[in-house]
Amino acid sequence: MPGSVLLWTRVTPTPDALPGSGTGPDVSVGWEVAVDSGFKKIVARGTAGTGPARDHTVKVIADRLTPGTSYWYRFTLGAAVSPVGRTRTAPAAGAPVDRLKFGVVSCANWQAGYFSSYRHLAARGDLDAVLHLGDYLYEYGPGEYQARDVVVRPHDPAVEMTQLAHYRRRHAQYKTDPDLQALHAAAPFIVTWDDHESANDAWKGGAENHTPGVEGTWSERFTAAHRAYAEWMPVRYEPGGTIYRRLDFGTLASLSMLDLRTYRDQQAANGADSAISSPTRTITGAAQMDWLLGNLTSTGPQWKLVGNPVMIAPVRVPSTLSAAELAGVQKLMGGTSISGVPYNVDQWDGYEADRNRVVRHLRDNSIKDTVFLTGDIHSGWACDVPADPATYPATGDSVAAELVCTSVTSDNLDDILNVPPRTGSVGVENAIKAANPHVKYLDFDSHGYSVLDVTPAGVRMDWYVLAERTDAGSGSTLTTSFNVQTTTGKVTPAQGGIA
Amino acid sequence: MSRSTNHQPTPGRRQFLQLVAAGGAAVVLSAAPGAAWAAPAAGRTRSYVLVVDGCRPDEITPALTPRLASLRAAGTNFPAARSLPVMETIPNHVMMMTGVRPDRSGVPANAIFDRSEGVVRDLDRPTDLHFPTLLERLQEQGLTTGSVLSKKYLYGIFGTRASYRWEPQPLLPVTGHAPDAATMDALLAMVDGPDPDFVFTNLGDIDRVGHSDLTGTTLRAARETALADTDVQVGRFIDHLKDTGKWDSSVVMVLADHSMDWSLPSNVISIDLILQARPELQSNVKIAQNGGADLLYWTGSDADRAAGLAAVEQLVAAHQGVLSVNRPADLRLGAEAGDLVAYCRAGWRFSDPYVASNPIPGNHGHPATEPIPFFVSGGSPAVVKQSVSSEPARTADVAPTIGRLYGLKAPAGGYDGTARTAALTV
Repeated sequence: MPGSVLLWTRVTPTPDALPGSGTGPDVSVGWEVAVDSGFKKIVARGTAGTGPARDHTVKVIADRLTPGTSYWYRFTLGAAVSPVGRTRTAPAAGAPVDRLKFGVVSCANWQAGYFSSYRHLAARGDLDAVLHLGDYLYEYGPGEYQARDVVVRPHDPAVEMTQLAHYRRRHAQYKTDPDLQALHAAAPFIVTWDDHESANDAWKGGAENHTPGVEGTWSERFTAAHRAYAEWMPVRYEPGGTIYRRLDFGTLASLSMLDLRTYRDQQAANGADSAISSPTRTITGAAQMDWLLGNLTSTGPQWKLVGNPVMIAPVRVPSTLSAAELAGVQKLMGGTSISGVPYNVDQWDGYEADRNRVVRHLRDNSIKDTVFLTGDIHSGWACDVPADPATYPATGDSVAAELVCTSVTSDNLDDILNVPPRTGSVGVENAIKAANPHVKYLDFDSHGYSVLDVTPAGVRMDWYVLAERTDAGSGSTLTTSFNVQTTTGKVTPAQGGIA
Repeated sequence: MSRSTNHQPTPGRRQFLQLVAAGGAAVVLSAAPGAAWAAPAAGRTRSYVLVVDGCRPDEITPALTPRLASLRAAGTNFPAARSLPVMETIPNHVMMMTGVRPDRSGVPANAIFDRSEGVVRDLDRPTDLHFPTLLERLQEQGLTTGSVLSKKYLYGIFGTRASYRWEPQPLLPVTGHAPDAATMDALLAMVDGPDPDFVFTNLGDIDRVGHSDLTGTTLRAARETALADTDVQVGRFIDHLKDTGKWDSSVVMVLADHSMDWSLPSNVISIDLILQARPELQSNVKIAQNGGADLLYWTGSDADRAAGLAAVEQLVAAHQGVLSVNRPADLRLGAEAGDLVAYCRAGWRFSDPYVASNPIPGNHGHPATEPIPFFVSGGSPAVVKQSVSSEPARTADVAPTIGRLYGLKAPAGGYDGTARTAALTV
């Protein structure tokens, strides 16, 4: 926010006050905010209480700060002093802003490898914030979902998380990762959840990976997942509230972070299910849709960025792929198939009426400079969002752009096909791009992170890929860049990395 | 490179000036009584507003319109720029020159229902405009102004406000506008002749091609041809300023008054037809059709007005092609806009009073046609070079921005627009 930042930490005041334990004393934690990393000029300080009721996590809103300014913060508990973190306030409303730079990540499965992507982003030192688009953690137990067949590092607790204590311990385990710690210390996070923060393919009444009865009710599980999320994540969300929210960055950009799990109807059975186009089904819920359309307006900041947990551009998988390829794509995209051809009913593809509402709103009002920033699908994409998919091949009319970051570690197509990277997947990518002319870039194999550069002239995403996700010291390489030039709503290839 | 020839000015008693422009074409300018024909002193800032009528911002590309694209890249671009309601030619040109919204200027649309005359007519009379414009306000500062407007109705409403003005000719029979080549001849002649401090120019070809192809089958090719041709004309102007040593003192603002949207023949809305089912409403509503917007006027009794308008609003809003039905006050349109303003969706158009009344596939007036190109360029040191601004520029910003160049005070009551100082060093 322009005048405030959210600070987060977790304390262990006594040896038994372990995550998920529900034990330990209530304590008061001190915090300080300074304009320098050496804390010579402290501009805000205070104390915050915590205890077992919130798993000894601490959230502080430090306010009365200067917009568009970097700050450093630390916590104290008794004689203990935390490591120092850097954060940054957003520019003031209406202030001209020349540039914003974000790290963009999603889909970080602890069991599938190391979080080298976070380390590389932390080392940049030039990020205004990190956008985490969901699947910050995974619910599975060891052996249920990992790097191909290899559990690189097992989850704790060693079971699928279904209860509050499980969710708390799993969050705590992820927070021990040094690369994740480094990135949290380097830049503020702007987060939303996707499904794995609760369970795979979650919807408002259940999830694909939830068995009522054996795993309790969905309501209980969902409530536990959200409570642990509120406790353990640096986000202005508390149970009972909404996580979808808008952040503004002067005149340059707004960022609408979506919640596409809490209000959505159950996924359709398959791609031929008439429910897909039913006007009564929703992925956003009515209130969030009204809010979103209200944000996509010509009266606010220039760029309308949307933190979008699942893809909105339509994706048709061609039936010409081999049976093995189709099976692999289906496993990657999830959902179901008709005659072996997959269709992702979990994306906006499965909720066409809601997608039409967004597309029609953008088209009817000629809203320019909307960019969907997406995760979920463990692959890198750059797409136009067609005004009408049927006529797009002839007209090229696009109402927005969609830029999809790949997974930090989670399996993708080469892993599923069990082939080396950039071999068996390349033909599949080409076939999908041919069947979907609005898809300009697709990498089904790589793991890594993206960097987003926002200026009045354009929005650009760089895709960096890891050499090896199972190597804790993996390097990363810039492979692809795409630009969305202002007013065009189209993605075009760009050269070189973001300076 | 074509170049207009500057003959010695020969003002007559009636303050007409005949010049010879490129290709030998005669250009006749008129002047306000007492206006001097001699060029003003050196050391001043010249400014030009070029309206590329109906151009969409994404149509300016290095491939299709290299001169415009180059000009945009060299100056300060405002990609978030929009037209203002009603997104039509006359009101937006008026907003450019006044800096105020239609509820203060009296000009909300191209066509209105004139209650006093009982007819639907264009707002093309000088007396329709109730607010002082830049064209005469700059003269009060001792500066000179010019108008080179390709459309007859624009020449009509701005009339004799400028120090020097060109009456568009030849007018093309279907479109009622002068082709851009002729308009540019006139602009070059004006720059070579009286050389006003400020000139307001409308280039109508791009818009008129959008309107003129009734079949839509040749629209895209014709549109691209018009864009390329207009780009050539803008190039002529830039080259001429450079060749005559005026470039370094020139500020060139380029924008559109609205953009363009195309509809299929099946996507036509006739409000008169909608109201046929309710004769008591149909007979008490007059419609001023403006392509993408219909202005509705209640002509029945005051006692029936509220209920009647509510019923009309409900019926019209229910049509699948209607985006919204608005109160004019909410759009700052003023009493001249009537009682309700209906907008169509993208890909639709209004056609009233008959379905066949508007056969034109290219229309504007509705929100889909709001985005416009808007940039400030030129060789003058007053221009911020090679910059892009997120600021939400609007057509009403032209007068305050040009006014700022000359230190012109805001009019009584202030501007509704904003001086886009991000583009200026002054």
